[in-house]
Amino acid sequence: MSVARQAACIAAVVMAAAVSLASADEAAEWLSAEPLPTEPLFTEHVEPILRERCYGCHSHAAGVIEGGLALDWKSGWAEGGSRGPAIIPGDPEASLLIRAIRHVDPDLSMPDDRLPDHEVATLVNWVAGGAVDPRLLPAAAMEDRTDWWSLRPLTQPEVPAAAAECHPVDAFVDARLAEAGLASTVEADRRTLIRRLTIDLHGLPPTPAEVEAFVADRSPDAYSQLLDRLLASPRYGEQWARHWLDTIHFADTHGFEHDAFRPNAWRYRDYVIASFNADLPWDRFVKEQCAADVFAPEATDRRVALGYLGAGPYDHSAAITAPRSFEHLDRDDLVTQTMGAFASTTASCARCHAHKFDPISQDDYYALQSVFAGIGKGDVAYDPDPQTARDRQRWEQLAAAAQHRDETVLLAEEHAALVAAWEAARGDAAAWLPLELETISSAYGATLHRQADGSILVEGERPEVDVTTLVAKGPATITAIRLEVLADDSLPAQGPGRADNGNLHLNEVAVEVRRPAEPLATPVAIGLATADFNQEGWTIAQAIDGDPKTAWGIHPAVGQSHQAVFTFAEPLMLEADARLTVVLRQIHGGSHLIGRLRLTATDGDPQTAIALSAGGSRRFADSGGRADLSHSSSLVAAAVLGQRARQRLAELPPKEMVYAAAAVAENERGTIRYEKPREIRVLKRGDLEQPRQEVGPGALTAVTALEARFPLPAGHDESARRAALALWLIDPANPLTWRSMANRVWHFHFGRGLSDTPNDFGRMGSEPTHPQLLDWLACDLREHKSLKRLHRLICSSATYRRSSACSEEMVRLDPDNRLLARGSRRRLDADAIRDAILSTSGRLDLTMGGPGDQHFSQKPGPQLTPVLNYDDVDWDAPGMTRRSIYRVVWRGIPDPFFDAFDFPDLGLLVAARGESVSPLQSLVLLNNRFVLHHADAMAADIASDTAAAALLDQLREAVRRTWLREPTPQELAELEPIAATHGLAAVCRLLFNSNAFLYVE
Amino acid sequence: MTLRFRESLPPLPRRRFLTDAGGGFGAMAASAWLAGERAAASHGRGLEGLHHPARVRRVIQLFMNGGASPMDTFDYKPALERHDGQMLGPKEKPEGFTAAAGAVMKSPFAFARHGESGRWVSSVFPHQAGIVDRLTFLMAMTSKSNVHGPASYMMNTGFTLPGFPCLGAWISYGLGSISDELPEFVVLPDPRGLPYNQKANFTAGFLPARHQGTVIDAAASEPVPDLFAGEAFGFARGQADRDTRDALQRLNRQHAAEYPADSRLEARLAAGELAARMQLSAPEAFDLASETRGTHAAYGLDRPETEDFGRRCLLARRLIERGTRFVQVWSGPQGAINNWDNHGNIQTELPPMAMSVDQPITALVKDLEARGLLADTLVIWSTEFGRTPFAQGSLGRDHNGGSFVTWLTGAGVKPGVAYGASDDLGYQAAEGTTSSYDLHATILHLLGIDHEQLTFRTAGIDRRLTDVHGHVIGEVLA
Repeated sequence: MSVARQAACIAAVVMAAAVSLASADEAAEWLSAEPLPTEPLFTEHVEPILRERCYGCHSHAAGVIEGGLALDWKSGWAEGGSRGPAIIPGDPEASLLIRAIRHVDPDLSMPDDRLPDHEVATLVNWVAGGAVDPRLLPAAAMEDRTDWWSLRPLTQPEVPAAAAECHPVDAFVDARLAEAGLASTVEADRRTLIRRLTIDLHGLPPTPAEVEAFVADRSPDAYSQLLDRLLASPRYGEQWARHWLDTIHFADTHGFEHDAFRPNAWRYRDYVIASFNADLPWDRFVKEQCAADVFAPEATDRRVALGYLGAGPYDHSAAITAPRSFEHLDRDDLVTQTMGAFASTTASCARCHAHKFDPISQDDYYALQSVFAGIGKGDVAYDPDPQTARDRQRWEQLAAAAQHRDETVLLAEEHAALVAAWEAARGDAAAWLPLELETISSAYGATLHRQADGSILVEGERPEVDVTTLVAKGPATITAIRLEVLADDSLPAQGPGRADNGNLHLNEVAVEVRRPAEPLATPVAIGLATADFNQEGWTIAQAIDGDPKTAWGIHPAVGQSHQAVFTFAEPLMLEADARLTVVLRQIHGGSHLIGRLRLTATDGDPQTAIALSAGGSRRFADSGGRADLSHSSSLVAAAVLGQRARQRLAELPPKEMVYAAAAVAENERGTIRYEKPREIRVLKRGDLEQPRQEVGPGALTAVTALEARFPLPAGHDESARRAALALWLIDPANPLTWRSMANRVWHFHFGRGLSDTPNDFGRMGSEPTHPQLLDWLACDLREHKSLKRLHRLICSSATYRRSSACSEEMVRLDPDNRLLARGSRRRLDADAIRDAILSTSGRLDLTMGGPGDQHFSQKPGPQLTPVLNYDDVDWDAPGMTRRSIYRVVWRGIPDPFFDAFDFPDLGLLVAARGESVSPLQSLVLLNNRFVLHHADAMAADIASDTAAAALLDQLREAVRRTWLREPTPQELAELEPIAATHGLAAVCRLLFNSNAFLYVE
Repeated sequence: MTLRFRESLPPLPRRRFLTDAGGGFGAMAASAWLAGERAAASHGRGLEGLHHPARVRRVIQLFMNGGASPMDTFDYKPALERHDGQMLGPKEKPEGFTAAAGAVMKSPFAFARHGESGRWVSSVFPHQAGIVDRLTFLMAMTSKSNVHGPASYMMNTGFTLPGFPCLGAWISYGLGSISDELPEFVVLPDPRGLPYNQKANFTAGFLPARHQGTVIDAAASEPVPDLFAGEAFGFARGQADRDTRDALQRLNRQHAAEYPADSRLEARLAAGELAARMQLSAPEAFDLASETRGTHAAYGLDRPETEDFGRRCLLARRLIERGTRFVQVWSGPQGAINNWDNHGNIQTELPPMAMSVDQPITALVKDLEARGLLADTLVIWSTEFGRTPFAQGSLGRDHNGGSFVTWLTGAGVKPGVAYGASDDLGYQAAEGTTSSYDLHATILHLLGIDHEQLTFRTAGIDRRLTDVHGHVIGEVLA
């Protein structure tokens, strides 16, 4: 931007602030206008220097006013900073500014890089000449910047006086039409109305039968019944969810260099569909998406709503190699998304400097970043059944209590009963029977010596790692095996391990059965592992977790024997000729090997077989093996309850995942964990290398009725920040949220919002054509929180039902139909075209929900991103004819069919889809394999219908399905020769390409 | 609305700019829904015609995907030999480096001076060495990012984030097509795979969808997707296709007659006719058989090393010649091999890449010149960032947005000139620093567009290709 234009912009902002402009267009006029007549020295020579050299640290625009001195307005230097006025007009030598840039005053610390002499001279001349500065901004003007339509308090407007039975929406619209002297068109015919309403609410055309029934329905409330029926259908949620997913740039992959698939993103898509179908109150929808974990902690099934936080793109590569800038931009995306989607505010314009047009400071912006400073994107686990979550919580707490011997929990009444029951059931301690070892071997050359007591002592070669394999005959039934690792004087530190410190690491235990009749051994599942002692971080559970990197250890309890019991998931029947193989992998390295071991088995009650800690078993023995409750110690309880808790946890259904953002999330990098939120500071010029003051969580100061900084207690959880923002958004005193959504709903019904910039209600956006109507609708939404109510209100108006047929005169007077004297014609969007083709061809599969359908084949790519082929697909495969909302949207590799019809690039938020026309688009609709396949399918479907055997009947049926009316004789005459010569499919293809099919009147 | 591509130049006639943001349609001419040669602006800040006479009408951009090493190609650094093996790199790993910097590593390739301009070129580019006097070098380009995704976005869209329109889309939006018979913005990716960011490098972002790059698989039997119905669909081919579309146009015309005031319906009709014309002209454009054997050989189509890139360079010339406005030719897919991202071993990984493009690029420039096309065509050789003078491992080089090389040739630029310089090691830009903003501003300038005036309002901002930056690099303009 040239300096002159920048000056003009600043001037324009000043003016925009000082006078209320009639429209954004007018504001734009201001922006492009020539600079206001001012002293040329200042605008041409002085201001560029100030801007280049000073504003970075001394301006409102930068959000940095060091030393309290602002140089971007005259009053800034006139009042001056902490040391008083910066300029004394006419007296450069006495002016602090001049002294500072000359670096003559050591108290004025300035950057080292000095201004060139000619710039210093310019400023000196300017000050000497009286420091003429046209940048007059009355202080009050800054406050006035909140005097803007979208920020004004939302109060219920009076419905304009009209005939008593007049619909309120029409009263507002007709009042404007009357002012403009425009007459409205008549109501559209019924055929048009049902198509318009059905496509609007469902994204699908009505069936010919539905059309005929509605046309024939003479009851006075036929239309409102239709409206009710459509709103009650699950097709409604599918259509309106798509609008919301556009709005928040939701897709199924990351985008960027590593455009990886998110297999769990779809659960959020299903949440949105269900929410619209259930008419979830709008405030609850906002709250759940921002912080379901706070507002509904018990209702874990609502956690899917947090998929909202993970909707946007993710730069996996930058996350690894450039984490600071990655996180900064990732938070920026969430701020943009949240403020754009919920509040129609362009907050991110204030990332590098104060918002140029709207009253949003850098402080505000970074306060919003702070809201999201404790979360990262990835898969977040949750229990889809809240009861499971409660159970899980209970058993996890118990397991933790057992781990830490928390007596208040372990000896509590409810748990004492569990222990008593165990003791009662346990009877005698399990009898451990020796296993008859047939072979014993070391894979790495250690020498194994059988001892008289049935144990094995390891001697000789001490390899780094080893795998010990024992093959044995055993009792007919085995419920558990016990591995004793025994101290021995021959071992380092008396063992039981062979490491220098006497330790051992048992990485994995595997058990299998070999039967002569079976070629392969059968693995035996171990359900539970217990040990009398676990090294910190090296527990016995890690010996059966399938992860070769983890292991069971016994340090520092060396020099003493230990035991571990492996309880089988099911009792094992061991035939006489069958052999049990036990493999002990000790592959940690450093000779963490078992030095002496003994293997025994039991056929007793598995409950009795668990390994107790030393104290616990002693206590148990002391009580004669039949301790009653009063003798139970926390040691026994810890063992029993810990085992019970782990058993119960293992039985719970697994958690599900949703791609979201949270303090703990799983992604390609592993577990992403934010112990506490990142510190957020205002960044001068948005530059990470220039941090300024720290900012806590908050929102916009411009919404003056609400506290802009969230008063959260010290040490609060990050989730409290998201919750606070949600509450700020849905506060009845926040005018933005209600206006924003009421306008969106209008936008999707009419193709244009009352403000036609649905994501920007600021000065660069459009002011509403009918501000009072918008406020009236917003008040209704605020009061009832119901979108379905809003749809009913809008769609039942005469305004909505108007015919789009109109005179050229009407087009001349109101070309864009801003005053709504007529209905607006719209092209079906990409999703609706595909769904309409499926619906008319008779192939539409209305199965809802679940993982997305892949309209492509894929093969692995060179890195994380696969190679997709949208041409190589089977259009008849299961799921391939479901609605478009269920397709996988690959952010960086768009489907060419959808792409041609303006399915948006979801790298950014999409408030309104485009409606382009091009030759390539025409070719896609004519020749895309999907279209042709379904032209064929539709022809086959019609031909298979015996009632339509004659060609003319088939043609009529094809036209009925697509145009929802009977063909005229002239049309039939046009179509018949094509069908006769080239087949009915050629006609179906033609109909899919016809404007009557593509456009909604 | 078809314009002959050899109309007199410059200056281009001033044309009316039309609004096409959002969906205002009542007052809009049908031509506004299609892309005639015109520029568009949004929302009341309409531009009145092109801003100044254009020097360039069409552009071919050659993109070396992965980060072509400057100090092993065009940026000769004798200091690297002196400091070879010394630990002079940053102590801490800068953001975007994949590893800590190793020792300074000299180029394994011999450099020599070439041409009257005496430009240093390494031995990996023997063919381009022969045309250095026609090239205009930007020797100190910089990127905001050292990460492929954001850096590729920056070179293509001017932003480091997704969702923004690329250079080709902006040009299409600003100027429209030269010919209605070919797509106005064509992308020829490496057949081995898409670059980083996949197709998002070619996106129209928030601009109308028709401005996005048409991705063409040069090796496919039917390169333009959906130009014709597939063989399985006889009812949509040949005579059936012609009859059906004639009837379709008649029925659509009837339908439009019922709604006389809607230009979109007219536009769909016009698009249908243009589509038919494209079907006639596109196959000819993609048919390389009509080129002479000498041309095939010049572009390297007779050798496996150069065949693929040569074919796409030749195709680029044919498209440009027939009225495509902007063609982007990519060398190298994303991933660890077959591209310019030479982390492992510069000595073994760079030469095959360099060889695959060197002769085709040189042939393209000479061919364009011989045909007089260079008089209004700009060719750009570019990459997303450079590489470190420090070794990664012992033989490779890491990403470096600090300094890299771009060259331009053709209309409007000063041949044989080098602007800017990197520091002694080639690590950071030292003087004449430029960025994608400046490159884009310069390209738009040559096309007759003021980069500050080509805007589209979205989400409250009048977006530009150059964000709030960019200076036309006057030093390289002819």
